[in-house]
Amino acid sequence: MGNEKTGSSGKIDITSELSYSVDTCARCGFCKPVCTTYPFGGGFEAFSPRAKVHYIKQVREGKQKLTPEWVDRLYQCTTCERCVENCQTEIPLVHLWEELRAETVRQGIGPMPMHAKMREAVDANNNPYGEPAEERDGWMQPDHSPTEGAGLLVFGGCTGSYRMTTMLRTGVTILQRMGIPYAYAGPKEMCCGSPIIRTGQLESAGRLIGINLDLFEEMSIKEIVTPCGGCSKTLKFDYPEWAGKLGKKWSGKVKHFSELYVKLLRDGRIKPTRSIERTVTYHDPCHLGRSQRIFDEPREILRAIPGLKLVEMEFSGENARCCGAGGGVKGHYPEMAEQIADKRVLEAVETGADVLVTMCPFCQASFTQSIEKLDVNMELIGVEELLLQSVEG
Amino acid sequence: MDQKVRERLEENLAEKVSFDNQILAAYDHDIGEMPALVMSMIDNTPEAVVAAGTVDDVRNTLEAARELGTPVTPRGQASSGYGGAITTRGGIILDMTGMNRVISVDRDNLTVDVEPGVVWNELSRELNKVGMDNCIVPTSAPSSTVGGWFAMGGVGLGSLVYGSIRDVVQEIDVVALDGEVATLSGEEMDLHYQTCGVLGIITRLRLTCRAAEEMRPFAVALPDVAAVQAFSMAACEELIPYAILVHSPGYVGMRKEMGEDEEVPKGSFLVVGAIPVGSADEDAIRRVAGANGGEVLSDEIASHSWNDRFYPMRIKKLGPSILVGEFYLPLDNFSSVVEEIQADLQRDLMGIEAFLLKGGQVAVLVYILDDAGSFLYQFRMAKALRPVRVAERGGGSLYTAGLWFASRSREILGGEKYDAVTRRKKSVDPKGLLNPGKIVPPRVKFLPLMDVSTLVDLSSRLGSSLAKLLVFRRSNRERVESQKNGK
Repeated sequence: MGNEKTGSSGKIDITSELSYSVDTCARCGFCKPVCTTYPFGGGFEAFSPRAKVHYIKQVREGKQKLTPEWVDRLYQCTTCERCVENCQTEIPLVHLWEELRAETVRQGIGPMPMHAKMREAVDANNNPYGEPAEERDGWMQPDHSPTEGAGLLVFGGCTGSYRMTTMLRTGVTILQRMGIPYAYAGPKEMCCGSPIIRTGQLESAGRLIGINLDLFEEMSIKEIVTPCGGCSKTLKFDYPEWAGKLGKKWSGKVKHFSELYVKLLRDGRIKPTRSIERTVTYHDPCHLGRSQRIFDEPREILRAIPGLKLVEMEFSGENARCCGAGGGVKGHYPEMAEQIADKRVLEAVETGADVLVTMCPFCQASFTQSIEKLDVNMELIGVEELLLQSVEG
Repeated sequence: MDQKVRERLEENLAEKVSFDNQILAAYDHDIGEMPALVMSMIDNTPEAVVAAGTVDDVRNTLEAARELGTPVTPRGQASSGYGGAITTRGGIILDMTGMNRVISVDRDNLTVDVEPGVVWNELSRELNKVGMDNCIVPTSAPSSTVGGWFAMGGVGLGSLVYGSIRDVVQEIDVVALDGEVATLSGEEMDLHYQTCGVLGIITRLRLTCRAAEEMRPFAVALPDVAAVQAFSMAACEELIPYAILVHSPGYVGMRKEMGEDEEVPKGSFLVVGAIPVGSADEDAIRRVAGANGGEVLSDEIASHSWNDRFYPMRIKKLGPSILVGEFYLPLDNFSSVVEEIQADLQRDLMGIEAFLLKGGQVAVLVYILDDAGSFLYQFRMAKALRPVRVAERGGGSLYTAGLWFASRSREILGGEKYDAVTRRKKSVDPKGLLNPGKIVPPRVKFLPLMDVSTLVDLSSRLGSSLAKLLVFRRSNRERVESQKNGK
């Protein structure tokens, strides 16, 4: 039923499930004050999620058309899911935006130019940064020794492998210290497809996912762990659906590293002992928190570290503000992404914490730039780094 | 839009004005889903929108409107369904949501000065930082604005103790059509309450606040509406609650279908309340509940239901639309009126939610599931007014006027205030440029002898019997979807 297309007007083509969701919109506007990118719309209602839903209804009824201006607004969304979190009728708004983005690509009026460039990079190099595949494992340390045939695969992700490598490196070091065997595909690992799916470029996404699924099968992978919020969301929720579409097998479990660390803590296999006398505040990555409901695990890890004081930002957990990078916003609307990241960093500064911690390399990349630009007295560290420091003590 | 008006607005407001059809389309409606036939009687799409950020933006907009004879309709989040923020003659929409600063907080006198576009929940959060809170908030607090609620009028959570929004506003600043800014209180301010900005644009409000208090939620299942009425009366006397909400079995049933309120016994009314922790008495809650045949439910369901107080529209997911009838009622008549409504609409998918108010009154909302996309919706819509008519026979009254009940403004505002407002309107806005169609209803486009509000009222009366016969039943598809999407 969910895949049945309506397309009655010939103007848009979304599933009947999404079409019904659109009809349930209460027009209450709860999505509007919480929307990360609405403030960039000049104060006009049309930039709010509810107005976009209204517009989609009008397009579906043939009263409006998808125009380049509207498509531009559609792409001004970080897919942070704050709108979904607050929706009275639980409309899967981000899923709706992504479906619509895919529709704009089918119609040749999307994506935005920088998203198309990103896709070209992915098509050519299998990562959105256009980096050579053979350098994908450049983050590894000499003592890192993946085990061929291990059922657990470390999926590095593109940002984790090429740009913000500390979280991945630290995660693998922890696995190594714990004596947990892990497999790693190195240069054979493709982009998970997240930035390509979120920007509606499904054809390219399908290619990447297909290769990755074949790789998982070839390596006899039963479980995947990744340091990236976006990768873990995509592998958890998009891959099973894509496996069905592509006719490939996939029944493995997917974990974000935070879930693995918490299990190790609860099982008593990892014991943070060294005191770290610092005050930290935790940023919930959108695709880890709201998308996967992983709010407690990172905090449980932080609370297990002796001496560490955790203070919350005004907007945390389900209400956490976005880093501004997701959904292709950093790619095509870098100034918007920068301002959103700045706002979040300043919110962290207000807590009085001296360390901003997070668990997603993509968020980390955004905050690194903001902290440097704003010149604030705030260190940015991955949760796993603190954990490792405490364990090694 | 007239080129002169356009040029003037562009000159006065630069990037704060838009004439983009797609942007304008976002302003052609409010929260209500009126049939296309009804909307076709008015010019509901504006020709320009101004996203006001300052008082000067408001003055500049009014200056252009006055000099060029263009209507101006102020708008908050349009979270009411009475049409108060919908244009009836096109013109300019003045979007006030960008004027959303908390101007100052007075901790000694427990007051706050705000711009009209401040969202209630955001104001609560700001006040909480200094140990204060709003006295009352609407159930639409996550999106609705302070100025919008005052201009539409109404009650909400906390109204059992503090009264209506009118009762917690001490003074306002209003920009008149001539651009003059006046600070008003008392009777002068009252002319701007519930009148949708027909006399001027509100640019500042001073609100009475309270000291922030932690609330102790409670939930009681009661066997019938008579028990609800008796419990409510006793609870108000003995428990001194901050708020009491009532959910009918029909409403509870809808919420159950959504995966909520599963612990509530089938067929029971659910009463949810909150008492300031300092004065909460567990024994008293049990005693009052027990004396009225009620069962005190777990703290978990009490907290969950109280925390869900801002989400009354969750049930819309089952529709996908809802017809809403809303009215005030004396608490003394609550039981008999609810029984009559339930009997009248027994074939419909219907639920009732009510809030107890100060002075022995209740605000009641009747929700009837429907589908605005179906052809029969426009005929079934008259059904929403059947509960209102039952309530009126039981001493009840309409909630507010807005656009759709403008023909009954005299009755809603009271004769004296209505006369004062219309007199003032003639002197300060003789051309009727400020929010036309509110208080004085607009004429039907192709039927100039008839006004829209009267036509809607007449058709709903004439169509009421037919509407009752047209029972909406959800299709299998919708049932499957709602279950699939349910928690």
